[in-house]
Amino acid sequence: MLRDWLSVGVAMAAGLFMTVQYFLVSESANAAYRTVLLWMQIVFAFALIIGVIGVLRIHLKKLSRPGSGRIYSGTLLAGAVLMSVFGFSGGIERGSAFLWVFDNLQAPMQSTVFSLLAFYVASAAYRGFRARSMESAVLVIAALIVLIGRVPVGEWLSPHIPESADWILNVPALAAKRAILIGIGLGMIATSLKVIAGLERTYLGGR
Amino acid sequence: MSAAPRRWVFAVMGAVVIGALLFRVGLPIRITSETRQVYEQLESLDSSDVVMISFDHEASSLPEIGPIGSAIIDHCLRRGTKIIGLALFSEGTAAGYSLLGDRARRAGAVEGEDWLYLGFRPQYAAAILGMGEDIPQVFETDYQGRPLSGTPLGMRVHDYRDIAIVVSLSDGSMPTYWVEYAGARYGARVVAALTAVMVTSFLPYLESGQLAGIVPGMKGAAEYEQLMGLPAAGTRGMDAQSAAHVVIAVLVVLGNIQAWSDRRRARRSP
Amino acid sequence: MTIEVTLTALLTLAIYSFLAGDNPFYRFAEHLLVGLTIGYTLVVTIKSVIWPQCAIPIGNGQLSAIIPLVLGLLILLRLSRSLAPWSRIPLALVVGGGAGVAIPAMLQARVLSQMEATISGTGSVTGWIVLIGVVTTLTYFVFTREHRGAWGAAARGGRLFMMVFFGATFAYTVMSRVALLIGRLEFLLGDWLGLLRT
Repeated sequence: MLRDWLSVGVAMAAGLFMTVQYFLVSESANAAYRTVLLWMQIVFAFALIIGVIGVLRIHLKKLSRPGSGRIYSGTLLAGAVLMSVFGFSGGIERGSAFLWVFDNLQAPMQSTVFSLLAFYVASAAYRGFRARSMESAVLVIAALIVLIGRVPVGEWLSPHIPESADWILNVPALAAKRAILIGIGLGMIATSLKVIAGLERTYLGGR
Repeated sequence: MSAAPRRWVFAVMGAVVIGALLFRVGLPIRITSETRQVYEQLESLDSSDVVMISFDHEASSLPEIGPIGSAIIDHCLRRGTKIIGLALFSEGTAAGYSLLGDRARRAGAVEGEDWLYLGFRPQYAAAILGMGEDIPQVFETDYQGRPLSGTPLGMRVHDYRDIAIVVSLSDGSMPTYWVEYAGARYGARVVAALTAVMVTSFLPYLESGQLAGIVPGMKGAAEYEQLMGLPAAGTRGMDAQSAAHVVIAVLVVLGNIQAWSDRRRARRSP
Repeated sequence: MTIEVTLTALLTLAIYSFLAGDNPFYRFAEHLLVGLTIGYTLVVTIKSVIWPQCAIPIGNGQLSAIIPLVLGLLILLRLSRSLAPWSRIPLALVVGGGAGVAIPAMLQARVLSQMEATISGTGSVTGWIVLIGVVTTLTYFVFTREHRGAWGAAARGGRLFMMVFFGATFAYTVMSRVALLIGRLEFLLGDWLGLLRT
């Protein structure tokens, strides 16, 4: 209970100070502001490590259980150990094993995984992109014009296609996104105010 | 859709992209105003200016973001503009270091004088705001652990007033934070070099003048390469990009014809 | 064709084998990728952030650096069931501090600047269309009032604007995914098989 109040107090104090600081012209306030910014980065770095340890714990448990999943968990752990050993013992600079593994294994594999989506997007385009109502028809037509108008083939077919695509992007699509931005902005301001007032406490654990 | 027709769709998609890569026709590439805007701004800089390039992306988007980054870095190096690199995404760190280092070495640029790579900082809001106050406090050392004060370029940059343009190479919403924290509060001029999927999200910022330009996806890279007169990965991929878009457009039309005929048949049958 | 190119190509093909269905080659590559990413994140976070910002300053006698180190260690207590509540203190600093910096930034850069751009654009027809689009889309997001009559018509108009936005975003999503595919196929066909002309 005391810990919760302490946490809420820290959030309120940090939030209030960081808001007020925006309007202050004071060297000491500025120094405190810079210090808090630095601390926030360091705390966040430790939070990244929690995620890493969490995944490692799950796969260490899986490794101790019988079944085919052990091989895959073993592969995952081996990959993590390999990269850690390379990084901590051999450095992360040009020519290091760490950078070699990143450039030749990690980065290509990651982009390959995401490139799979090109195939699934094609499949979804055939299966799910249906003009069943006026609204969905508007969506399909806008998609088709931008799809063709923003690649060289659109210009080759007719200069009107890229011009139409430009209009769609710079007028109706822009208007909708702008409204969404304003809405999200207002929502974030309201949530931030609630955090600073101590009314929003879900970050303490969902209560 | 059952597995068999879906695999046909996969096969057609793969075959069309492979075919377009093998047999390029070189369709003309139209330069959009947003890419030209970025090019012209970087073109107006010289060797006394510093550009900050933030690698705000995951490794997964490298095939798309890499050509844009290469084009922008090459442009800066050609102008003699100094480059400070950093990353606000963990995976962008090594990707940025490799990309910037490779392009700089190819151009014969000297590390520490012509370019410098600072490394990674998490908590983007705090990092962006912190650099607005004092860059050496946020990055005391560079990526390789050398003190910033030990390099001529590191000694030159204190905050955003020493940076002509901030380029956020991003596959997410990071340019928003550059605009909101570095742009609005410290007056930094921000350019977004984006994966295509993010383009529509940033058009309002471009129109309002909060973003100084956008380079949109691989097409943007191709446009930039055309402007520089150095066709590279972006330009090479444009025929395949066009072909794949035509395939998807045809699939959308076919899917709708199929659905329409199915509905008509269902209405006729008792 | 070097060993590293062949190795990368084989792992790329292992991932593409997923298109034919889940299989051991794909699962091996997927788990290897997650493992490498975990190791990578650990190394970069410690070597690039925690070491230079905590360990080195403390080593140099800068004792104020102990505070963020303690806060960071407190957040690691999240991994212990009994001690986890202590991790809320540093979390509160990040959440509270983030909320504090967000308020002026959101208000100035997102809400006011975007509203200003909308209103200042009304000198042209397209500017008016944008204004109508912004107002009607915002109307759609007001859920405290029933969408009937003129209000409902405005909300329906807003939905149309959003449909155009979603359609355009779909098109750009296709562009992004295809670009990744092109990048990988260029690697396989060019770097690995040497079939592409430069």
